[in-house]
Amino acid sequence: MKKNTGKKDHFIDMSFEPTTIKNPLKMDDSIAANYRGYVTLDPNKDFILNDKIGKILENSCPTHAITYQKDDLKINLDNGKCILCGNCQVKSPELIKITNKFDLAKKRRDDLIETFSMSVPFGKTYDELGKELKNKIDKIFGRSLAIREIDAGSCNGCEIEINALNNPIYDIERYGITFVASPRHADILLVTGPPSKNMERALKIAYDSTPNPKLVIAVGACACSGGIFGNNYATTGGIDNIVPVNVYIPGCPPRPQALLYGILMAINKSGFA
Amino acid sequence: MNHKETTKKYYLELEKFDSDLKKLESNNELHLSLNDPYQLHDLCEFLKKNFELRLLSIICSDEQKLNGKFKIRHIFGSDVDDFFLFVISSIDSSHIYFPSIYDVFPSSILYEREINDMFGLIAKENPNIKPLILHDFPNDVFPLRKNFKLNNIVQGNLKQFEFTPITGEGVCEIPVGPIHAGIIEPGHFRFSVVGETIINLETRLGYTHKGIEKLAESMPINDVVFLSERISGDESVANSVAFCQAVEKIAQLTIPKKAQQIRLLFAELERIYNHFGTMGGILADIGFPYGASRLNILKEQMMQLNEKLSGSRILFGINQIGGVKANITDEMLTCIHYVLDDAFQTFEKTFDLLKSNSSVMDRLRNTGIIEKQTARDFGLVGISSRCIGIETDARHTHPYGYYPSINLKQKTPRETMEHQVELQKQIGDVLSRFMNRVNDLRQSKNIIDSITTMENDELSIQMNGELTPYSSGLGYTESHRGETLHWVMIGEHNSIFRYKIRTASFSNWPIIEHAVLNNIVADFPVINKSFDFSYSGNDL
Repeated sequence: MKKNTGKKDHFIDMSFEPTTIKNPLKMDDSIAANYRGYVTLDPNKDFILNDKIGKILENSCPTHAITYQKDDLKINLDNGKCILCGNCQVKSPELIKITNKFDLAKKRRDDLIETFSMSVPFGKTYDELGKELKNKIDKIFGRSLAIREIDAGSCNGCEIEINALNNPIYDIERYGITFVASPRHADILLVTGPPSKNMERALKIAYDSTPNPKLVIAVGACACSGGIFGNNYATTGGIDNIVPVNVYIPGCPPRPQALLYGILMAINKSGFA
Repeated sequence: MNHKETTKKYYLELEKFDSDLKKLESNNELHLSLNDPYQLHDLCEFLKKNFELRLLSIICSDEQKLNGKFKIRHIFGSDVDDFFLFVISSIDSSHIYFPSIYDVFPSSILYEREINDMFGLIAKENPNIKPLILHDFPNDVFPLRKNFKLNNIVQGNLKQFEFTPITGEGVCEIPVGPIHAGIIEPGHFRFSVVGETIINLETRLGYTHKGIEKLAESMPINDVVFLSERISGDESVANSVAFCQAVEKIAQLTIPKKAQQIRLLFAELERIYNHFGTMGGILADIGFPYGASRLNILKEQMMQLNEKLSGSRILFGINQIGGVKANITDEMLTCIHYVLDDAFQTFEKTFDLLKSNSSVMDRLRNTGIIEKQTARDFGLVGISSRCIGIETDARHTHPYGYYPSINLKQKTPRETMEHQVELQKQIGDVLSRFMNRVNDLRQSKNIIDSITTMENDELSIQMNGELTPYSSGLGYTESHRGETLHWVMIGEHNSIFRYKIRTASFSNWPIIEHAVLNNIVADFPVINKSFDFSYSGNDL
């Protein structure tokens, strides 16, 4: 019932030891491991989202920070609304993980919203990547980024996926990216293929005709290393044997999200910023 | 008529030509060995006169190690009977000439140019013996000869290539490529125009040549399946099935029913997503983005279905020798039916709209017309041949895999008649190719719909032991572009001695030079797209 005397003495004494924490951002260990700091959507490997779980999660949140979109099987978590009650973790430990992280502050309100969608269980959705890219492009290029695609001997699998970026579902133009008809109009070259010996000269010419500053992205396993074709009499074993490469996007073929992520990385890495 | 009777029929007829020829029968194949390669020309004339045969491919292989000779196999096939004829001639390695048959079967020109590039054998009478596939390569490099190592670095005097000069008053040349304005594969087109009208087109391909046939000879046989998928990314199922069937034929392996069924389902799904894409492309090329967008949405839906079923959006990694790797359960089959029903409802609505849109129809009609005789001469396959009323469909004439087992509704005599009349009406323009694609799509849907339950069976069986060295087999499928042939010859210790690939694109490419004549340059993209060629599948 009564507080211990030591503290009382301390209080009376009035001579404080220095209790201010030095460098508060780095001293994680002063935070309890079970401190409820950061609610995140981190699914277990075998987690499958369905209507039932979605409803339960939605109802579990007292502040309606969790919303479930039935049509596209998505869970949105708004950290700006969350009061860290931990109710959701109790209801669905396979999806919700609470860590003691506290570095949650964001510059934009929207960034506080986290999404888990069935189609992209890990990482960011296509839309999130796209918006991030759009902001970058706005800042650096003023709204538009021009890409020239060059097929240097691919099997056309990568072309299918790059074409898919332009279909109404992925619609890359809404993020300010256009595919242009000539390397002379381009900021970025997107190159596919192992590349073949027969395309070596054309690729070099296209690279030289692209105005500086320029970026080259190697798309697909073939462009990164020669892929299954390797380095034989007809191929050269990777784009970087012919022109300098800024970003490598692996995959056979890389899906549209992966392409967008690679383009984002190229801009982040670039000397444009 | 079963295989034996069909082969017998041809066998007896061929007796009339020369009864001394060595003949070998197996299933639907008849192999003739010529004693003297110069008999070939006479034989071809005989074949042309007496049978309705089409030249499918010319395969050369360097068998100097075995018998000091190059072997050249001319493969002919029938579009009526399930029958293949192999004419085998041996060429001494000291004698680098072999007879050309271009005046009997004009489609042989390309094969002869290819053999000249890759083996250094010369078709003596062939008037057009320019390099085909190898560009910046020396004159004395022949990659498919056995003494050429896969990763040789080549240097020396480079091959010369000259475009045929077209001159005259007002004739202008427009060079296009190899890098094109759109997101497509590389190739060079040299237009000669008077005003806006194209009077001549010369194509130069080979830019995506990756040495696939040579590479296969150094790979373990099971890995070549992955290589065959990457011959042309959008034909992955058709090509890998053809390769697997060739090897399974050599190994005399009968794969489980379920595996056949899964191969069929994926092959038809591949056809559907590609036809949606091509039709979308045609509409984009004539400036009708509404239709193009609708069809591209459908293509994307199909690709997402592909991913859910197989883990790959363009159906990589499905086949293996002896069966398949990806399973389709009954629930997945229901899902396929559900997605297809949904997609085709949208498709039919879009198609109705297109049909009633005169600006679309006018633009497609009478554009890029091909002649029936030209189509026959070049041995066109698939949609490109059906658009002028020549029926070639490996699924019907050479039924393989699960195709004989599906029970489609039998056509009534009236329907058959109507079909024949429809065929005769085809005039070989972009519109007829467009409409044929619609028919193909509906047929694929019917085929998939006719499968209601999955077979209760294994996914694959093991290939046991070593394959007989130097035995060979022919695998064939119908891709969305047309008939695809893979010929495999096994070497020692289950290696590949020779792998010859002939995709539909290789047969169909020459027709573009004829289809664009008298059209304006602005119509070239839509004509090109309506044939739907693969550059990678052509260049290998």
